[in-house]
Amino acid sequence: MGRHETLQMLETGKMPERYLRNLGTIGISGQLRLLNAKVAVVGAGGLGGGIIELLTRQGVGYLRIIDGDVFAAHNLNRQLLSTERNLGMNKAIAATHRVADVNSDVSAEAVPKMLETENAAELLAGMDVVVDALDNFSSRLILSKTTQELGIPLVHGAIAGFTGQVTTLLPGDQWLEKNCSTGADKGIETGLGNPATTPALTAAIQTQEVIKLLTGVGELLHRKLLYFDTEVNVFEILTIG
Amino acid sequence: MLIEVRLYATLRQSAPATATSGVFPVQMPDGSTIGELVSAIQIDPAEIKLYMVNGASVEMDHVLHEGDRVGMFPPVGGG
Repeated sequence: MGRHETLQMLETGKMPERYLRNLGTIGISGQLRLLNAKVAVVGAGGLGGGIIELLTRQGVGYLRIIDGDVFAAHNLNRQLLSTERNLGMNKAIAATHRVADVNSDVSAEAVPKMLETENAAELLAGMDVVVDALDNFSSRLILSKTTQELGIPLVHGAIAGFTGQVTTLLPGDQWLEKNCSTGADKGIETGLGNPATTPALTAAIQTQEVIKLLTGVGELLHRKLLYFDTEVNVFEILTIG
Repeated sequence: MLIEVRLYATLRQSAPATATSGVFPVQMPDGSTIGELVSAIQIDPAEIKLYMVNGASVEMDHVLHEGDRVGMFPPVGGG
């Protein structure tokens, strides 16, 4: 069954078998919204790999995957899209191969470039949601500025060691500007590194925010920062301005 | 006044040995600010990205009150 048949089935009130386990949470109308949605994932590394896998399985119809980097051996501990066979391959291109293997309802476009001031508006225009799966503060500032100018929600995530954080930024929210604009371009991950579990947890929560934004189901982490530290089993939801 | 300090991630290294999971009490003069608390517990403010009082984000000049729970978070930027 192809994408056209899937959409036809949903429009007549039937859930295709591959999405049956989505029925109880988002329903047929939610699934239809997902399949008609466009999401940009900026970064296809630790966070991006998990986010792309989950969005693809959940059935988000169009993914634009932006990453100019290639896989290296030090990515293998956590980046789901990296394998021993694709070392050296561009991460965005590898992601589209994975999407094609998992769900033919999903159209994935690889942009094998880094997000920069010069290309950001062009790459993000027309998206329903943008996901921050970047690994530095300066690129996040470009992302936040551009999504605000375009009026697109941005789901932020970041990781370091045992720690991860997620928040959903709607146009007008200046939290990243406030928290990424001073000092170094990286955080404590330069010392702690990134083990396997932290990006997986963070990516799952970011993906859930995307699903909630697109379907209207549930409560967003808007003006709230989910912060976790699994070393001491802390999960906190903090109120942010 | 008694303040409860909660240090997260790498900042926990600055907690006293008696602290559990980076949480410990600090006695401060009435009217103290977050900035004064950071000096009192001898952490370099450059290591701290976010301050929270009772779960809400605040700035360094925020004035503290008896029983406040003050969280301090380092910058997290990986992906």
